[in-house]
Amino acid sequence: MNADGQTGPADGDLAAEETIELTVLARQAGVRIVHVRRYLEFGLVEPHPAAPAGSPRFDPRSAARVARAERLRRDLALNYAGAVLVCELLDRIGELEARL
Amino acid sequence: MPLSYTDYYDVLGVPRDADQDAIRRAYRKLAREYHPDLNSDSDAEERFKALGEAYEVLSDAEKRERYDRLGARWREAEREAPEESFEDFFAHEGFGDGSRVEFSQDLFEALFGARRDRTAGPLRGRDREALLELSLEDALTGGRRRLTLDGREVSVNFPAGVRDGQLIRLTGQGGEGRDGGPPGDLFLRVALKPHPHFRRRGDHDLDVELAITPSEAALGTTVAVKTPTGTARIRVPAGSSSGRRLRLRGQGLPKRGGGSGDLHAIVKIVVPKALSDRERELYEQLAESSTLDPREV
Repeated sequence: MNADGQTGPADGDLAAEETIELTVLARQAGVRIVHVRRYLEFGLVEPHPAAPAGSPRFDPRSAARVARAERLRRDLALNYAGAVLVCELLDRIGELEARL
Repeated sequence: MPLSYTDYYDVLGVPRDADQDAIRRAYRKLAREYHPDLNSDSDAEERFKALGEAYEVLSDAEKRERYDRLGARWREAEREAPEESFEDFFAHEGFGDGSRVEFSQDLFEALFGARRDRTAGPLRGRDREALLELSLEDALTGGRRRLTLDGREVSVNFPAGVRDGQLIRLTGQGGEGRDGGPPGDLFLRVALKPHPHFRRRGDHDLDVELAITPSEAALGTTVAVKTPTGTARIRVPAGSSSGRRLRLRGQGLPKRGGGSGDLHAIVKIVVPKALSDRERELYEQLAESSTLDPREV
């Protein structure tokens, strides 16, 4: 059941919502796991609070966030902090535009 | 749009004589502006790709030079380009008799001049050639020379293992370009000067004379021999006649890819001009008892 990593373990909160493993996140974002860890350090994406620390799980939308940050980092010669900052600013712009 | 000719300078919004810094600045600014993650316009992705292509060409000196010369056809030129670089071509072909060539301006024009007529506008300066005379010791260690050519001072670093007849290219040190065109290149042709002890054999091997006495030649010996970096001991086997080659591996000139050529010590039997009485007596005894007839061998 858990073999493809797409479905959470059958316990508690995580059973209710779909989450993905770190390896799946990296694959879907098209980056290496070390890069995902760097984005984790900068708080671009955060593990699901209910997952055990040893095997973190993520919201499936995290992959798109990481992929976008990685594109920006690579194409615009940014560092990780810069790429994460740009993503956060883009999110805020999106929220503000949605309110108008 | 994708198949039509795009002027890379227009894409980046820089003048044709923009330097690398200006090109990089323009690219980075426009990349931020048109990055598809930052710009939701429908043509942002297309423009961002065009930027990347323009930057790839203009940030690379070689590609940019071809693009300047050939415009939209620069990629074709890439395929037509000869396998050998100019340097290789001339290193192999050489110039024959080693006569002095001071600034043979017309050489490259004669060979490659036609291509300049294809496009109007900025003209690349002429390639020029001059002679760089070096000693064997220079070739051994590599080094640096300052030359004055046409009242202009040029500094050149030459590598260890530089070969006689090799061309060293100094990019942009040739004739000045016209109408904003880039300068040509300066080619220095290496001429290794004759050495009092060592004679070159091919590109990396050296010959050195090894003088020994008749008895050393007959009985064998171990003697010191000059090498380019000092001296080495060499064993001369018994029965070595004049002209015998004794090889000292790796004691020649360095090779460009690493390693060195060999030094060949060539035996030369030297006899005394005048013999002492005792020597004459012994030679006479030797002559009587010798069975060797060298004309028969």
